[in-house]
Amino acid sequence: MAMDLAAFSRFARTFQKGEMIFAEYEPGDAFYLIQTGRVQIVKVIGDIEKTIDILQPSEVFGEMAILEDSPRSATAIALDNVKVLEFNRANFEVLMMGNPQIALKLLKLFTKRIYDQKRRFMILTLDDPQSRVADVFLMLDETQPPADRDSERREFKTTMDDIAHWAGMTSDQARDVLNHFVTQRRVEIFQDKIIVKNINDFQRFVNSRRKKS
Amino acid sequence: MPKALQYRTSSVIYFQGDAADKIYILQSGKVSLNYTDIENGQEVHDIVQPGEFFGVKSALGRYPREENALVLQDTAAVMFSVPEFEQLAMTNIRIVMKMLKVFSNQLRRIHKQVSNLLEKEEQVNPEMGLYKVGEYYLKNRQYAQAKYIFARYLTYYPAGKMAAQAAKFVESAEGSLARYGEGKGPAPISNSAPASVPKPDKGRELSAVAKSYYDAVSLFSQDKYPQALAGFKQIVDANEDPEYVAKSVYEIGRCLFLAGKHEDCIKHYTSMITSYPKHPDLGDALFFMAQSYEKKGEKERALTFYKKILAMSTDEDDVVHMKAKKALKALEA
Repeated sequence: MAMDLAAFSRFARTFQKGEMIFAEYEPGDAFYLIQTGRVQIVKVIGDIEKTIDILQPSEVFGEMAILEDSPRSATAIALDNVKVLEFNRANFEVLMMGNPQIALKLLKLFTKRIYDQKRRFMILTLDDPQSRVADVFLMLDETQPPADRDSERREFKTTMDDIAHWAGMTSDQARDVLNHFVTQRRVEIFQDKIIVKNINDFQRFVNSRRKKS
Repeated sequence: MPKALQYRTSSVIYFQGDAADKIYILQSGKVSLNYTDIENGQEVHDIVQPGEFFGVKSALGRYPREENALVLQDTAAVMFSVPEFEQLAMTNIRIVMKMLKVFSNQLRRIHKQVSNLLEKEEQVNPEMGLYKVGEYYLKNRQYAQAKYIFARYLTYYPAGKMAAQAAKFVESAEGSLARYGEGKGPAPISNSAPASVPKPDKGRELSAVAKSYYDAVSLFSQDKYPQALAGFKQIVDANEDPEYVAKSVYEIGRCLFLAGKHEDCIKHYTSMITSYPKHPDLGDALFFMAQSYEKKGEKERALTFYKKILAMSTDEDDVVHMKAKKALKALEA
């Protein structure tokens, strides 16, 4: 689907390979549509820089900025020489009216974000750290492609810091909980992945905690 | 092709939890979307007005239905597949714009709710957050990134508490970039030197002892018991951090048990109970002792230990308690 974006050239901006488009925690007032090149979304967690996503042409990023002036939740860096269209709340409607594809794309992005946030909220309402961490795995399982539903074993390409982030706790707290699960032989921890031995067991555990509260 | 459908009063169009791939528009009748509010747990009934869409979010986002769609009066509706809906949307941009408004309001609301919850926990303030990300890049000699961030810091927080330092860092990043080039030369701030932040974020930094402890735990989780055992022993021998020594003492027993060294396991835990009569993992230790006796065929002894565990804690939900109860039952049968 070719998009007619010639009319929007006045919003075009270019970034050199390696250049930062915006940084995490910076106030955001614009969002971007990639025209050429790729954009890397990263987050500095503790003392590592973690790539969250690599975005391709025609993808949108920084879209939360049109909702509110909340700080950026991640850093965007040009992975190639990148050309983007930069929009803000003022010219947003004009862009959308002229480009149903982008509007639809954004609509889908919002549905996904609403779900993610709701799910996150559900995790955070659990009181005890163990059930929170267990629920993070359930959430990850829900969003992961249904690989092998017959088995109760699940593999997650995730780290302790990710788990801590989702569970709203410090890395140390998450480590303690995960370590406890390891001692119970419910999870196995590797460098690049965490294995939950029985996802149904976690489901039962979280359900029982949710009812109590 | 979109499909016209008729529903009788009190039938259900879809249930919460159903896989979602259809979008509906209400033509006539009355439909209620029933769900539980995630914040206060109250039952919510949203009435769909004729002409309104429903089932959009879950179908577009490809996640399970979040509500029951209940028919209150005989209803006529049109059902779209996602591609059909997209086609419709392309030619009716007003529909999309209206939905964008509704969704962005919902998103803003849920975003607020989440940050409210997080605020009670720990939240980094954006000023220090930005500064620290800058430090990270400077430490890692990504001068261009560091320079960008410290310059932004100065733009947003010209009188901020780190402003003077940020200004210096802009200069040093610039200098290093010109002198050595990206990724080269000595880092203007070293990795080991504590960050020049007034309140260091303790939660993030792990001590060396903690690191070796978690390394050993990781080995354990991969069933590498002899290696894990060696790791835990080192921590105990070094005797640097009492917390991790105590934890490691307990872990050693588990390694012994899982490596099949039941006699050693019993000996180890016996001495642990003497030195740490109030060890937080006491129940588990007793359980491994009981299991060891069982493996050795000393049934009576095993029974005694299981009973001890049950006497120790009355919390029925406690994992050790449940395990002991089960083992006891099996043994007595």
